[in-house]
Amino acid sequence: MALGCSISRFDEARPLSSLVPGTAGVVVKVLRDSSGRADRLTALGVTPGARIRVLQTFPGIVFQCDETELAVERTVARSILVDVATAPPDTGTTLATYL
Amino acid sequence: MSPSPPDASGPAESGGNPADSPKAPLGIGFAFGRSVACPYAAPTPASQTPLLTLRARPLRIALVGNPNVGKSLLFGRLTGRYATVSNYPGTTVGITRGRTLIGAEVCDVLDTPGINVLDGFLSEDEAITRRIITGDDADLVVQVADARNLRRALMLTWQIAALGKPMILVLNMVDEAHAHGIEIDVPALAAEIGIPVIETVAVEGRGMAELRTALTQPGEPVVRAEPGKDHVRWAHDLAVKHRRLRRRSIGRFQEWLNQAVRQPATGLPILMAVLYAMYLFVGVFGAQTLVGLLEGGLFGSWLNPAVAALADRLPWALLRDFIAGDYGLVTMGLTYAIAIVLPVVTTFFLIFGFLEDSGYIPRLAIFSDRIFRAMGLNGKAVLPMVLGLGCDTMATMTTRMLNTPKERLIAILLLALGVPCSAQLATIMGILGGISFAALLTLFGVVLLQMVAVGFLAARVLPGDRTEFILELPPIRLPRLGNIWTKTLLRVRWYLGEAVPLFLIGTALLFALDRIGGLVWLANISRPVVSGWLGLPPRTAEVFVMGFLRRDYGAAGLFDLANQGLLTGVQVVVALTVMTLFMPCVANLLMIVRERGPRVALAILVFVTFIAVMTGTVLNHGLGLLHLSF
Repeated sequence: MALGCSISRFDEARPLSSLVPGTAGVVVKVLRDSSGRADRLTALGVTPGARIRVLQTFPGIVFQCDETELAVERTVARSILVDVATAPPDTGTTLATYL
Repeated sequence: MSPSPPDASGPAESGGNPADSPKAPLGIGFAFGRSVACPYAAPTPASQTPLLTLRARPLRIALVGNPNVGKSLLFGRLTGRYATVSNYPGTTVGITRGRTLIGAEVCDVLDTPGINVLDGFLSEDEAITRRIITGDDADLVVQVADARNLRRALMLTWQIAALGKPMILVLNMVDEAHAHGIEIDVPALAAEIGIPVIETVAVEGRGMAELRTALTQPGEPVVRAEPGKDHVRWAHDLAVKHRRLRRRSIGRFQEWLNQAVRQPATGLPILMAVLYAMYLFVGVFGAQTLVGLLEGGLFGSWLNPAVAALADRLPWALLRDFIAGDYGLVTMGLTYAIAIVLPVVTTFFLIFGFLEDSGYIPRLAIFSDRIFRAMGLNGKAVLPMVLGLGCDTMATMTTRMLNTPKERLIAILLLALGVPCSAQLATIMGILGGISFAALLTLFGVVLLQMVAVGFLAARVLPGDRTEFILELPPIRLPRLGNIWTKTLLRVRWYLGEAVPLFLIGTALLFALDRIGGLVWLANISRPVVSGWLGLPPRTAEVFVMGFLRRDYGAAGLFDLANQGLLTGVQVVVALTVMTLFMPCVANLLMIVRERGPRVALAILVFVTFIAVMTGTVLNHGLGLLHLSF
């Protein structure tokens, strides 16, 4: 994953909405607003520490969080901050090292 | 009496208190005290004396868990009762009850709608589950979890634990979890939470014996509260600690297919192919081949002449006509129900069951989210809309999965307005297939346009909010033929049980009306609208009356009129458009009354009728002005 490597130097959280398909990372924070969006995401497993991988960005954003596949609209994706620097290799074999 | 569809599996509270059920008016069960196994089955430790408990009612076991983890399957395994099983969140929207013997005790098992959180903002189906497990309705909570998503399940475990009820944790689908490279240290996890943890594969019945044993000895969950640690942190730590990850061995084809159906470049052609396959199977094979065989062959050549011959021996002309006349119970009622609609409904339910179990339908939400957003909904609404193609009554109940009252109202309105149910859809295809493809496109184009327009307006006029689109996509799976078969049988049986009597009652009603001159009166009184505005023969009025009893009954009547060559192409298109947009059938209307109250139902009824007549009028004159014919 070329992209994952090139940005790994910048250790900062980026909104899920800005990531391209194939990017993997770990959720750092879910921004709260008044609508209870964060609670809904939390209940679905999108919590700090969860590993996620972007699968698709058009027409809607689809990503995998743990083993759950979620489809969300862009506004929602903007509130999910992801640390792509600690992205795991895509094999899923050495997951324990970053969890 | 409200005729409820098969998937309804009883409205949430319709069963009332299970202790009131006629089977066990005073169900006195004998139970051995908690955490003590049956003394005949295993040696009991001396310190624990078997307790014989006298109960006023059977022990109630609630199956609770995240959506789409297999609660209904497990329910079926435990009780032998079939609760509809599909592969998408939100199949179960009410409580299903069943009875089983656990150890030496008769127990009531409750299947509940899936739930992600216990506190906070809940949709209506989730609120039903919360009521069940927070109240006295559940003595024992069995949390069913998807073994692949342990972390999510444990967040819920923490919340259920706070209720202080005895509990068991079931890790279902361990086979799929293994394929995804996930293994869970079950003994360690059980020790840490203090409740039995059982691994199962409910589709194959694996782990059921262990579960039955565990049900006699549930545990009190121990959730150690540490400062600064909430349920999220707790679940995360616990999951990481007891979960081992290995190499995934999931099928490449499955992953490829999953990607193909959700990417626009491949997904839209696939959608077209799916629709075309449905058209071929339901519209051509069902509505033309099978209907031809049954209507022309079985009924036309054999049954109806035979019945007519028999009826001829009857001394009274009235009775003769009642059975085998123009509005005869057999020649009209039974012929419509069995020969025209049954083949169509059966073929539709078969292909629909396949789509439901494959996990395909929720993925359509990705494509449709933007359109639904303009209509005050979000992509999630694609589920009730597509389910409406099966049965609008059932789909009206499924709108419980939507989050706000406004979203539910819009969805219910759109279902009543424009979504044709399976039988109607196929009769539409059967009729228009014989005319032209352009006619079919005109009909669906007008109906879709009308739905978008009404949704767009409703989104702006009605008070309330829409919620943001967040939808869990179920895994893509190869459907199990056994489940599709069971589901189809159940639905066909429901059709026969609900529709056939209504078809017969409707026919009797028409017969009576015809005798007392009511049909002529009806045709006369509605002539200005039916003939003047819509440009249809006055007889079409009776088809609209039939359509109110059941939409498919009306459609079948229209099918008959068209076959007799009484309608031109334009008239068929106009009549079908009006009927599609027209008021919902009686069952659907009763469901709207139950879900939203009589005032809303009346408002929807008036509004929908108005829109239907107006659209038909515009279409009739528009086509006339453009000199279009089909």
